[in-house]
Amino acid sequence: MAAGRKITAKIKKTLPVTGPQAPTLGELMRWYCLNTNTHGCRRIVVSRGRLRRLLWIALTLSAVALILWQCAELVLGYYSASVSVTVRFQKLRFPAVTICNINPYKYSVIKEYLSELDKETRSALESLYGFSEGKPKVRRDAEDRNATAYQYLEKVPLLRFEDLTRKEATDLHSGHKRKIESNIFHKGSTNIGDPQNMIGFQLCDPNNSSDCAVYTFSSGVNAIQEWYKLHYMNIMAQIPLERKVNMGYSADDLLLTCFFDGLSCDTRNFTPFYHPLHGNCYTFNSGENGTILSTSTGGSEYGLQVVLYIEEADYNPFLVTSTGAKIIIHDQNEYPFIEDIGTEIETATATSIGMHFTESRKLSEPYSDCTESGADINVENLYNKTYSLQICLHSCFQKAMVDHCGCAQYAQPLPAGAEYCNYKKHPSWMYCYYKLHEKFVKEQLDCQQKCKEACSFKEWALTTSIAQWPSTASEDWMLRVLSWDKGQKINKMLKKTDLANLMVFYKDLNKRFISENPANSIVILLSNFGGQLGLWMSCSVVCVIEIVEVFFIDSLSIIMRRRWQKTKKWWNSRKAKQSRAPAPGTGPGKQGHDNPACIDEDLPTFNTALRLPLPQENHLPRTPPPNYSTLRLDTTFTEQLPDTLETESR
Amino acid sequence: MNLKRYFIRALHRLQKGPGYTYKELLVWYCDNTNTHGPKRIIREGPKKKFVWFFLTLLFASLVFWQWGILINTYLSYNVTSSLSIGFKTMKFPAVTVCNANAFKYSKVKHLLKEMDKLIDAALERILQCGKQDPFSPLAVNSSENDSQALDLQLWNQLPLVLIDESHPDQPIIDIFTTNRTGAGTQHNSSSPSPSNTTAEAKKYKVAMKLCRENGTSCVYRNFTSAAQAVMEWYVLQSTSIFAKVPLEERKQMGYQAEDMILACLYGAEPCNHKNFTQIYHPDHGNCYIFNWGMDQEALISSNPGAEFGLKLILDISQHDYIPYLTSAAGARLMLHEQKSFPFLKDQGIYAMSGTETSIGVLVDELERMGYPYSDCTLNGSDVPVKNLYKGFNTSYSIQACLRSCFQAEMVESCECGHYLFPLPEGVNYCNNDDNPDWAYCYSSLRSSIRHRQFCIDSCKETCNDTQYKMTISMADWPSEASEDWIFHILSYERDLSTNVTLDRHGIIKLNIYFQEYNYRTISESAATTIVWLLSSLGGQFGFWMGGSVLCLIEFGEIIIDFLWITIINGISWCKGLKQKRAQTRYPDAPPTVSELVEAHTNFGFQYEDGSVTPGSGNCCRGRLPPEPGTPPPNYDSLRVQPLDVLELGTDTEPE
Repeated sequence: MAAGRKITAKIKKTLPVTGPQAPTLGELMRWYCLNTNTHGCRRIVVSRGRLRRLLWIALTLSAVALILWQCAELVLGYYSASVSVTVRFQKLRFPAVTICNINPYKYSVIKEYLSELDKETRSALESLYGFSEGKPKVRRDAEDRNATAYQYLEKVPLLRFEDLTRKEATDLHSGHKRKIESNIFHKGSTNIGDPQNMIGFQLCDPNNSSDCAVYTFSSGVNAIQEWYKLHYMNIMAQIPLERKVNMGYSADDLLLTCFFDGLSCDTRNFTPFYHPLHGNCYTFNSGENGTILSTSTGGSEYGLQVVLYIEEADYNPFLVTSTGAKIIIHDQNEYPFIEDIGTEIETATATSIGMHFTESRKLSEPYSDCTESGADINVENLYNKTYSLQICLHSCFQKAMVDHCGCAQYAQPLPAGAEYCNYKKHPSWMYCYYKLHEKFVKEQLDCQQKCKEACSFKEWALTTSIAQWPSTASEDWMLRVLSWDKGQKINKMLKKTDLANLMVFYKDLNKRFISENPANSIVILLSNFGGQLGLWMSCSVVCVIEIVEVFFIDSLSIIMRRRWQKTKKWWNSRKAKQSRAPAPGTGPGKQGHDNPACIDEDLPTFNTALRLPLPQENHLPRTPPPNYSTLRLDTTFTEQLPDTLETESR
Repeated sequence: MNLKRYFIRALHRLQKGPGYTYKELLVWYCDNTNTHGPKRIIREGPKKKFVWFFLTLLFASLVFWQWGILINTYLSYNVTSSLSIGFKTMKFPAVTVCNANAFKYSKVKHLLKEMDKLIDAALERILQCGKQDPFSPLAVNSSENDSQALDLQLWNQLPLVLIDESHPDQPIIDIFTTNRTGAGTQHNSSSPSPSNTTAEAKKYKVAMKLCRENGTSCVYRNFTSAAQAVMEWYVLQSTSIFAKVPLEERKQMGYQAEDMILACLYGAEPCNHKNFTQIYHPDHGNCYIFNWGMDQEALISSNPGAEFGLKLILDISQHDYIPYLTSAAGARLMLHEQKSFPFLKDQGIYAMSGTETSIGVLVDELERMGYPYSDCTLNGSDVPVKNLYKGFNTSYSIQACLRSCFQAEMVESCECGHYLFPLPEGVNYCNNDDNPDWAYCYSSLRSSIRHRQFCIDSCKETCNDTQYKMTISMADWPSEASEDWIFHILSYERDLSTNVTLDRHGIIKLNIYFQEYNYRTISESAATTIVWLLSSLGGQFGFWMGGSVLCLIEFGEIIIDFLWITIINGISWCKGLKQKRAQTRYPDAPPTVSELVEAHTNFGFQYEDGSVTPGSGNCCRGRLPPEPGTPPPNYDSLRVQPLDVLELGTDTEPE
């Protein structure tokens, strides 16, 4: 027992302090202000005069506020990016070049599927505008006008609107006038001045014939083309893929000559690619066989030079109205959206396309709202290529189409387990499609919200210029030789307007790489914090710890101690009352202490200084002096003495 | 003098022994330093001492770690880019216009006569061949007479041959003789080897026979298209012919400024062909550069829009084209910086005849920082390739470097220069007579990846990269209604004739102007500067420990003191050792107290003692427990120490 007490006493001696030394909050603050490393606080205590003290309090507080504000700014601005542009001259990968004939299928071959539709289109043209193209066709049309029923016009009737305001239209096929009850959509003619004499067509929900939508066009050209396209897609959706590929242009048909990087190339360097709207397209340098060509010299001679054979005579008259080829320059992993961003190539010209390569990379979350691979996007990628916004939007629409209409749209790839729309199986798909498309455009399908842009993208900036080709001087031999090149199979002389020359080359081999880098890192953020803290208050983490220590731990413990002592005192006094024995020494002790403390407010005189140790010596045996050396220098720990006296005495 | 005094003082201190101990020094340092942590170590109780000691160590190591990161960041020399876009008054770009055709056919006909005849005859046979049954090779009788007149020697230097893909064992057919030769000679790998699957569709192909060493070793360069083969052959042959023609004559054969530039208007001011600088461009013959800035100040444009740009009317007289050399007809044009050489094959665009081409220009500039931020060159002086385009007085560009590099390679391996590039000193252009192997040599060099890579590696891009982004639009010009009078006026102005000497196929109108936003400048600046580094270092140090450079200096001072104490201690220890030895050596009785007292008070005694064994005397004094002679330490902290003692004393008293 005695040994244990000895050990505790020894511990008490070596590790004596168990609470804050300062007896009151006021003392603690004073001690803190005098001893802290932050500037400003000390001035509050040291200053004399109320005004000055207030001023210093205000200054210190505003410095603290400034620090907090600036640090908040720093934290808020943490996720910002700086942009750096690097240019490197290097051997560049040649992009994939996809080339399509604007006309998807040879008209001579596909005629068997489209003859009905064409006939009806012609008759519609005749009844609308009173003419028909091509004399012999008229005769034939006249023959079987009455013989066959107009299945296409029946399904989607073309209408002529005399007056939109009255909602009356003439059915071109039957000649009846009918009242239009349904909504009218203007396609491509949102602000026409004259709402009379417009052509359009009506799409109805077959299950509910009163639910119809009428599409009107300002020009008959658009109306007829749109109407034709609708039926065309319908027909094409029913033809199997192999048949469609066979009907399109073969690589030998399309490409007459090919030259890359100063060397000859041929159709084997092109990968066929079937596009729903453009038929057979051919991709040069698709990387399919594992090798991707690259150029190490810029300039037109070292790029791709091809002569394309565009058989103008074999064009579909209603589906496409322009002649030429469409090309698109894209990355090997990108899907070529020919119909969206293709460049058109004119016949009888040499089109020279100079490229300049730029690669950009953005920082993804949390810096910006983009996606690295598209894996985090809730839309299935229907294309077998890397993610892009375009792919996502198309896939999203296709998905919605399958969900709403029960079949897939012809221009986009098929999702698993779906089939392309056609009249026979899905009689209402057109109406459904138009409705859905309307929604899609108005962003009601949520696709635009779901799809995010890709974080990195490659861009080939094109400078396109054209020259006459072949020149009048070289036309003669050129056509002869090209006919020979081709002519070992087809025995006919080529015409200038059937040919297009295309040159795709790198203008220079400078690759611009624009990338975003995080502007901040933790290290820099902390440095900035340190700079702010140091600038305003010469503060550091140590000060922060001090503040925590003093303001939270010590203050709380002082308050708790006070409470404890008060209750003890109360208890004691009650006990004392009960025993009727007044506590000795407390009253006089206190009195004796108050006096020197009072004097202490003034500067110490020689007498007080001399007298000072005297009362202390009286109490020394009972109270341990505080451990803070500074506190000892401040001779005003008078308050502590009675408290500790009481606690120690028990 | 001072130094000497200093040394004496140092010696004195050495003899005196350490004034204070390590602990004293540390306590003093901790109490007086400006860094925030150490003060707390000594001020508070042992538990807190412990905590603060660890905290201080932790913070110090954090500071050093983060400093390392910051310094690494600085040494990686990152850059940030800033983009500015807008309109400002800028130098109008230099505009180079050329004809796509290099020479007037009427003026070079006498040089090309033989070749044209040859190629005509060859074509006739090639075309015939496709039509006929492939198994009865070439009925040559019809043109037998013609072939006598042909210059077969020219042909045999670089002949075209037919390749019959249906005869894999004897595929090569000479065009002017009917022999078939076996496939003993190697095929050039220029095109994929013919496979039998496609052979049925196409029976014949045209190839070019490239020989060296007097026709002993030959390769065949395959072409998928006869048109391509003919063009390639013609280009090689004509190159050899034009290489022999002196420059002045070549200039005469090209298009003259007054024939080509019919009208010119810059802003509101008229200009004419005299405002253009003529240069001879090997690809395109005579080229004319507007606003090159070589002999006069560059023109400035301060307004956007077509009205304030350059308007040109050109005539390219298409009927005078060399039929086999150029197949595309139009003007070649390029926008480039002042005092730079126009590389039309790379950066040029076409303008089509019979149209008006409008070009809106946006100047896209990239200003980069040089070494060590990026590996670019300011003026090309640090590039190991000799710039052959210096002769044009033009600035360095990567295209110039690549071409110079190629020419140097060409000279090295073929011993003659290629006609399309400038000549180094003392070398001639390649031609068939002097260098019969050059075509072979050139072809192999051109397709050699290794040589290209070498040039790419040795050339550096320029730090300031200026590009002219063009927005090109076209319209038919002249309109049918205005065609008549425009042709009349232009013909009259050019030839003073009342007849129309121009036609749609030759005439081109060009408008070149600044767009509304005419510049986009991306300029780099260093992301990390010395100032940045210092402020970040200071921030880190301040953040964790509230320290500054002065604190570092304090620390250094303490370390020096430490060393000093160590040295002094070491010396005294050594002396102690010596003393011990001395004691063992003289095992006399140690000096008595009275002796020592005498030694302290009696000056004479001390002097003698010092002169005899100063070391031992000092040691004796060092060994003595109380030092009456040592001054008390000056440090405040030491004064705190007695208080501690006092405290302990008072603590013990109650017990």
